[in-house]
Amino acid sequence: MTQSFEFAAIGTSWRVDSSMPLLPAQRTELLRLAEDYDALYSRFRADSGVTALSASGGSLPLPPHGTALGRLLRSLHDLTDGAVSPLVGERLAEQGYDAGYSFVPTTAPSPARVWDAVLRWGGDTITVREPALLDVGAAGKGQLVDLMLEYLLSEGHDDVIVDASGDMRRSGPGSITVALEHPYDASLAIGTVELGSGALCASASNRRVWGDGLHHIIDARTGRCVDTVVATWVLAADAMTADGLCTALFFADPADLSRSFEFDYVLVYSDGRARLSDPLRGALFP
Amino acid sequence: MLATVSMLGAAGCAGASADGDAATTEAPSGDPAAAEQPAGAGPDGQVYQDGEYSETGSYQSPAGPEEIGVTLTLETDVVTAVEVEPMPDNPTTTVYQERFAGGISEAIVGRRLDELSVDKVAGSSLTSGGFNDAADKIRSEARFQSP
Repeated sequence: MTQSFEFAAIGTSWRVDSSMPLLPAQRTELLRLAEDYDALYSRFRADSGVTALSASGGSLPLPPHGTALGRLLRSLHDLTDGAVSPLVGERLAEQGYDAGYSFVPTTAPSPARVWDAVLRWGGDTITVREPALLDVGAAGKGQLVDLMLEYLLSEGHDDVIVDASGDMRRSGPGSITVALEHPYDASLAIGTVELGSGALCASASNRRVWGDGLHHIIDARTGRCVDTVVATWVLAADAMTADGLCTALFFADPADLSRSFEFDYVLVYSDGRARLSDPLRGALFP
Repeated sequence: MLATVSMLGAAGCAGASADGDAATTEAPSGDPAAAEQPAGAGPDGQVYQDGEYSETGSYQSPAGPEEIGVTLTLETDVVTAVEVEPMPDNPTTTVYQERFAGGISEAIVGRRLDELSVDKVAGSSLTSGGFNDAADKIRSEARFQSP
């Protein structure tokens, strides 16, 4: 009854399910959306837009959706006192998560450069004052989920889900049950949540996704990895916001973030304790 | 049946450290006679044969393929012990795998293998992929044989 389309894009596996046929032209368009996004933001491609900025600086024109991404990243940057920042890209690279996957740190951890000193993300144009390697992994995968889902809705799909290996957005009647994977063991779940229409994203500090941009959560203020929160899940209206909040929750108190965003969350700390928003009470196994 | 047994042999199945208990069907030992199991289920509806099982799982890291060794002890369909042996080729992976190995045993003890019915899973990790790979192999080799 449902149609599935599975593919690989931006370094992870994707699966789209719809109650309606996924036509060849629609499948082609989904792949094109992913390719365009990758060509813009992948810091693992020699020919991408962000690679050009890291080589020679200057400006990078973005499609209309770049405005929303920039606004979200700036907002998360401010709410986390600068811990979430696209400028963490070069710190990730220095720590060995570079385009060549060298895994060899070239320097001691150090703070990323300050946003306002280097970067201007004005509307749909990124400008860097000097060459800088940007990383939008904090919310980029979520935004691509949104772009695909919104495209399918515009094509008339009315019961559809886009799942980028655990970061997902659904639109349709009823709800589905989603297991929250144990941060240390994928054969276990720590609970379940119901997903109606909206997004559910997950982040774990041992995770490696998005062509590798986010596998390692680095605090832009120190350049070091974060080890207090080990996993986060966020339910929000769209996947870009849910994805970004998943990263921000490694650095900021949920109560602070909830003043600017509407979302539900589950956090797991390194000592095994969990914290979750009231509506999700009961989601975790006793 | 014979094909199954020889496949397990080729996989290097540690298999039969389960013993003694007359009510427990012996784990595969490479002896074709041991493969004469009840159809698809053990005593009291038990799905998996007791024993200690070792497998190697692989997963794709950004640095290339990595392997992780997993040993599970099964008693009456419950995992009672887990050992994870990192076998990485590069230092960063060592750090990740050791962290993974440190947290896993305490969490998994006493949970059934096939417990949940859900539509999706959120929160996959790369090392977990390797663990799953190994656990799947163990699951199929530990299962009582169908005719």
